[in-house]
Amino acid sequence: MSIMLEKVLEDIYKGLEDPEFSMAISRSVSNAEGKHLRVKESYPYVEDLRLRVLEAKKKALENIDYYIDQLARSLERNHGVLHIARDRDEAQSILGDLVGSGKLVVFSKSIVAEELGLREYLESLGNQVWETDLGQLLIQLEHGKPMHTTAPAIHLTIEKAARLVREKLGGELPSSPEPEDIVSAVRRFLRGIYYRADVGISGANAVAADTGSIVLVENEGNIRLVTGYPPIHIAVTGIEKIVPSLNDAISYALVQAAYAGLFPPTYLNVISGPSNTADIEHRRVYGAHGPRELHLILIDNGRRRALLDPGLRDHLRCIRCGRCQWECPVWHHTANKWGGPTYGGPMGVLWTAITLGKETGAELSMLCLGCARCDEVCPMEIPLSSLIRGLKRVYSSKI
Amino acid sequence: MPQGLPAYIGCRYLLDVRSILRILADNIKRTGLPVPGDPGLLTSWSTGLDLPEKGDVILYTGGLYQLLPYIEEFAEYLEKLEGGKAGGLLLKAAGKLGRLASLSKIVVRPSRERLEYSRQVLVSIVELLKSAGVEIAYPRGIDSYSGVLLYDMGLDTVFREHARKVAEALESVGAKTIVTVDPHTTHVLRKVFPRYVEGFAPTVKSYIEVLAENIDNLQFKQGDAGQVVIHDPCFYARYEDIIDEPRLLLGKAGYTVVEPRRSGRMTYCCGGPIESIAPRLSRRIAETRARELDEAGGEIIATLCPICYSNLRRAYRGLGLERDIQDLSILLYRRLGP
Repeated sequence: MSIMLEKVLEDIYKGLEDPEFSMAISRSVSNAEGKHLRVKESYPYVEDLRLRVLEAKKKALENIDYYIDQLARSLERNHGVLHIARDRDEAQSILGDLVGSGKLVVFSKSIVAEELGLREYLESLGNQVWETDLGQLLIQLEHGKPMHTTAPAIHLTIEKAARLVREKLGGELPSSPEPEDIVSAVRRFLRGIYYRADVGISGANAVAADTGSIVLVENEGNIRLVTGYPPIHIAVTGIEKIVPSLNDAISYALVQAAYAGLFPPTYLNVISGPSNTADIEHRRVYGAHGPRELHLILIDNGRRRALLDPGLRDHLRCIRCGRCQWECPVWHHTANKWGGPTYGGPMGVLWTAITLGKETGAELSMLCLGCARCDEVCPMEIPLSSLIRGLKRVYSSKI
Repeated sequence: MPQGLPAYIGCRYLLDVRSILRILADNIKRTGLPVPGDPGLLTSWSTGLDLPEKGDVILYTGGLYQLLPYIEEFAEYLEKLEGGKAGGLLLKAAGKLGRLASLSKIVVRPSRERLEYSRQVLVSIVELLKSAGVEIAYPRGIDSYSGVLLYDMGLDTVFREHARKVAEALESVGAKTIVTVDPHTTHVLRKVFPRYVEGFAPTVKSYIEVLAENIDNLQFKQGDAGQVVIHDPCFYARYEDIIDEPRLLLGKAGYTVVEPRRSGRMTYCCGGPIESIAPRLSRRIAETRARELDEAGGEIIATLCPICYSNLRRAYRGLGLERDIQDLSILLYRRLGP
């Protein structure tokens, strides 16, 4: 996919000229900026967790093949199935084989699924597919793009969200709805879907190599239902999410929540295999109340190439907390209209370079101010502004 | 339409960014300056000042204060071009036909007032250094543009060559300390040149650091000088850790420093670094910052960088607000005296 800087700017300028878009972003930024500092003040041990995760990420990335092997063995032990996809096509093909067609599929929010176009792909196979995270569902309904990593629908005002729920879901809402009305309407709609769903698809905040556990953090409770109710659970995530131990993986999810500014998280999910029971004669039976199958699809899609590239390698430490977005002056005015087709903001420019190639990332890099606010707040100490400046060199080498 | 937004609604984005970069690189290769002009414009401010050419401590301006009025004009021209089809095509055609110089010549006509302000800033810096007891020399022949814009835009090949020439000139005068006047030149000389020019490792200090080191020698007028909202530049605050020094100096000069939202280490960008790539986005960022500096409630807004000064000034103009923005050096110089 090629992106032209000039085209990106056209879209950004549309946003600047849209008072509703600008107002919605500005309100969210006021609420979210610096929130991680307040979390850290209240829970000082978050700093210890951050340092633990930083070391765990470095260790795992330096020995990625070792930890993938260990993860495969752990998952097999737990009666889960590991699949490895080199790129978007392979990921779609694996998922297509697992899901088939004519199924009802529920997604919890996964930016890797967005990266790989999985929802659209499953729809093209004749499946009925629903996002269940409220923000992500709104994005699905408007056929749009997530505008923040952890808060995808921040660009939508309450009026616009209500319009989507009324028109696309047939939700009954009062003429001047409150957020609670919209949440209730979506809850009513989705409750009926969860219980009929054939497949639940999630991402993963972190994956523990030693136990084969998938760790997911959330507030809405939709991940519990997506991963706990349908008979098949498929998790899709990048290879960079692997850390050595379950202790590291749980810390990872907590740090992600803290830097997202949502702490304590309402739910922390640990999934180490299909549901099972040994209550009858102590013989293990798989497929108890929850899913009877668990699949983990590990995605490369440019990540291994990035591991070998000093200009991108450090960015694989990113835990996608979205903190750099909340602090970036450019992002404050563009949201994810700057950063690439899936990702956005400073981290987005680099994820675009990793997943779509450096030349594509380079087109986006030229809008970075180099102001380094992102460097100040990144929990994984990624030198974002320096890496983006490296992409500017790629752009400018072609003048 | 939101206040301050030019009438671009419905217009396509038409600036060809690579053409802009070609103009920049071409100008620097030809004249050493990012905009066309006589290199003498960098040193004319010092006419009439009694400054020795040689010394252990030398002033190197890096040209940003002197060039900013020109760069500002260029950015305003680009912003106008962005709104119209003809301008974008003109830039593209100029890039292809190699008529970059002639195009650039058309666009830069700074006002006398802006040129005079830059001169006053540099004169104030010299007077402040003298008052602090610093024996400062100014080897006019080696003052030049540092090339920081090339570095910021990723034009590394041109930057490396330019940096080599600048470093050679600086080394030729054998100074022990190089004193700089703006955050970008301070950073590029202190942290970037050593990575691009082998063996170049001089002692570089911002004039603000030098004044703070010699603060006891500075004599300021007595009495309350009013409230000053400080706008830290990103490159001083985050790249060079120069945060306390300007506050110390303003305090000693009798000002009450007012901290805006997003201050010190988490200061907010003025939008300047992308003004020639995306003028409308740059201006919107500047307006956001201008509003929050305004909300802090001081009488004067202090800037420490010519780019911040220029961008915030334009932002207030665009917002239809008249605000007193002053460079730190001007504020300090005003208060010199018994």
